[in-house]
Amino acid sequence: MNLSLLAAVILNGLVTGMLYALMGVGLSLILGLLAIPNFAHGVLYALGAYVLFSASKAFGFLGGALAALVAVAVLGAVIEYLGVRRLYHVHPDYTLLLTFGLSLILTEGIILVWGPVGITFQPPPVLAGGVDLGVTVYPKYRLVVMVVTAALVLGCYLFVTRTRYGAIIRAGIEDRDTAAALGINIRRVFTLTFAAGAGLAGLGGALMVPVRGLLPTMGLDILPFAFVVVVLGGLGSLPGAILAGLLVGVVQSLMTAIWAPGADVSVFALMTLGIIARPQGLLGQR
Amino acid sequence: MSGEPILRTEHLTCDFGALRAVNGVSLSVAPGTLHSVIGPNGSGKTTLFNLISGEIRPTDGRVAFEGRDVTGLPPHRLPHLGLARCFQRTNVFPKLTVHENAWVAVFAHRAPGALGFLRRASDFADVNAEARRTVEEVGLAHKRTARAETLSHGQQRALEVGVALASAPRLLLLDEPTQGLAPEATQHMTRLIQDLAGRYTILLIEHKMRIVMSISDRISVMAFGELIAEGTPDEVRDNRAVQHAYLGGRR
Amino acid sequence: MLVGFAGLLAAIVLLPLVVRPVVAAEIWIFAIAAMALNLIFGYTGMLSFGQATFFGLAAYTAGLMMIHWQASLPAVLVAGTLVGALAAAVLGYVCIQRVGTYFIMLTFGFNQMFYFIAYKWTSLTGGDDGLPGIPRPPLGIGPLSIRLDTSVRYYVFVAAAFLLAFYAMKRVVDSPLGVIFQAIRENPGRAAAVGYDVKRYKWLAFTIAGAFTGFAGVLYSMMFGIVPIEVISWIISGDIVFMVLIGGIGNLYGPLVGAAVFKWLSETVSVVWERWPLMLGVALVLVVLFLRGGLVEAFARLREAIGDRGTRPEPGEDVPVPVTAERETGP
Repeated sequence: MNLSLLAAVILNGLVTGMLYALMGVGLSLILGLLAIPNFAHGVLYALGAYVLFSASKAFGFLGGALAALVAVAVLGAVIEYLGVRRLYHVHPDYTLLLTFGLSLILTEGIILVWGPVGITFQPPPVLAGGVDLGVTVYPKYRLVVMVVTAALVLGCYLFVTRTRYGAIIRAGIEDRDTAAALGINIRRVFTLTFAAGAGLAGLGGALMVPVRGLLPTMGLDILPFAFVVVVLGGLGSLPGAILAGLLVGVVQSLMTAIWAPGADVSVFALMTLGIIARPQGLLGQR
Repeated sequence: MSGEPILRTEHLTCDFGALRAVNGVSLSVAPGTLHSVIGPNGSGKTTLFNLISGEIRPTDGRVAFEGRDVTGLPPHRLPHLGLARCFQRTNVFPKLTVHENAWVAVFAHRAPGALGFLRRASDFADVNAEARRTVEEVGLAHKRTARAETLSHGQQRALEVGVALASAPRLLLLDEPTQGLAPEATQHMTRLIQDLAGRYTILLIEHKMRIVMSISDRISVMAFGELIAEGTPDEVRDNRAVQHAYLGGRR
Repeated sequence: MLVGFAGLLAAIVLLPLVVRPVVAAEIWIFAIAAMALNLIFGYTGMLSFGQATFFGLAAYTAGLMMIHWQASLPAVLVAGTLVGALAAAVLGYVCIQRVGTYFIMLTFGFNQMFYFIAYKWTSLTGGDDGLPGIPRPPLGIGPLSIRLDTSVRYYVFVAAAFLLAFYAMKRVVDSPLGVIFQAIRENPGRAAAVGYDVKRYKWLAFTIAGAFTGFAGVLYSMMFGIVPIEVISWIISGDIVFMVLIGGIGNLYGPLVGAAVFKWLSETVSVVWERWPLMLGVALVLVVLFLRGGLVEAFARLREAIGDRGTRPEPGEDVPVPVTAERETGP
């Protein structure tokens, strides 16, 4: 493999990896605070993509992306408020099944509204075309997405670790009851966290539309990778999710270039090795 | 009294990050005795138990049971060696019946070979009988078929001890068996412990001083993770360091 | 016990009168898979979202054996069961390292991995188009062989296979394993403290369930003459979870009821409207929010409310037991 191809492959891996990190961060927040794996996380990503597709016709690409973020975040809040909230006192397996049911409903909803066929989408003209990086020419849009998602991920991390509200979220993750006893409106924190996690997924979906296109099953396709990222990264650890996301993205991209059929399997093999070597995840504690 | 202690810890230490919960505790329990561990809240008594029974690995030090080094063994090995414990917070099997709670503990130490698993559980007459005996011993015969979660607090504490007994240990670690019990239930439990003291070696954590003083052969006193005194009840009662630890003052 | 068995026989006889024999056969096949999940979820407290892995691997194994080696019926049944057990043993070893939420994600993740493999390895599995040309080998040898080519005959065979599996599962559940698994579900810490190597027993439960699920997968492979890729997809994993949920967990008969209700519903609804997953999703949401504990527990609660309080028998007899699974939460 020559240098130019290698550079492209690694860049692809970073683009995907940043997306995975974004998904992992959202999922990790929800998992950490609410102790549930959000099976609907994939379909929220898909919904973001489809909202972008429709909204961008009226509001342009940026407007469409914002619309996706807001729409999916609001949906997340609604899901938490009407459904997930009723199940906090019951054990999390039920919440998981709820999110699973929702993923079915929403996926079918996508098919009903937008049809079962895949759709391709061109990046906005201002971001189209390639950039000459010396070692290779790389699509401008992908670079932009990589930078934007990296900024989002970093922003999220800083928000959770450096701001007061972030401290509240972390307190809620540590000890839900104590946080509530301290007078923190833990219910609102939960709703907002779920909405944030959902919004991140939706935005991720929207941003990736010019790269990956649209398909009703895109949510289901990405969900296991989001899970792998969270499991590999470690319990509720945001830095872990970021690191794991990048690792998974790069490994998957490399394998796609070396032996395409093995690409997906390699991700799971990586996860398996991770679990065995370090049961608590790369950066998790226990 | 035979020479070799049934349990001995040597410089047992446990750190949780910067906090040293147990600091160099060395104690010996003589077989056939009732040995109590007392101390103010937070002195590390339950952590000591956890170190002995394998729930936590010590940062330093050793634990020897019947002369054999058991330091850091996982909890599930110990009942087979003859050591069983009960817990400070009731830790039974809530949706199993009282009988099943005992049954499963008895079966663990009577486990047959692989082929035994082909038989029905109800066919194990010896296990059933031993489970029944254990349930009777802790005074829960009348509640045998009730689900553990339906028992009163006092009954649950009795079951808590019963499950440990069901392992037919030689050494029983009892962690505050009278925790949260009303006076009458406390008396029942105390009588039970005294009854057991003849037949088992007991290491007991207990807060109720009257009980400790009246039934113990030997008492070890802990404060701030360390062993600050040890002796007979009279010796400990008169010990200044003990009084200081309980009545006030910080180090 | 006898009442239950008589009830089963009655159900077996009456079912094909209520639904088509093909659907009835599917019900018993999935009843086996649901019983298997019930063993690890209802009895041992581990929710697996990837049982289709073992169902599908066994189905593909059986299909390939029949196509390439003209394997006999007993051979594929044994092979499929072994494949299910072996796969569960290997994957189980990894998944058992985590509990609760993470266990679920691991089982789901591995399921997806095998799905991707099946999807891409078209030369072996036919990929999205499935593996066609699966015969139905006759039962028996030489002059004593019975052909299973009609749906009714195959139904009878499947029902018989189900009874065998049910008996085997009952033996497992009535054995000391039944109580040990439940103790692990109730309090894994205490189960260890009384002397059980909890991870080993969980692994055992998972492996046994894999064997049963594989057995069901083999039966399924011969249903339609083709092994569709759905056989190893998350959809079937979710279906099985749903069956156990609506039927009631921790009870030997609950999964059967769940399988029957689920398959009957999916059959009737999908005839009317092909967006069946939407209905399933809605039903799942409704059940989770309003009808936890499933139909069997709903009936049990009804009985209790009327005043019939059954006493619990000695270990070894099966009784409805609502479930709490272990938690692994937070950072």
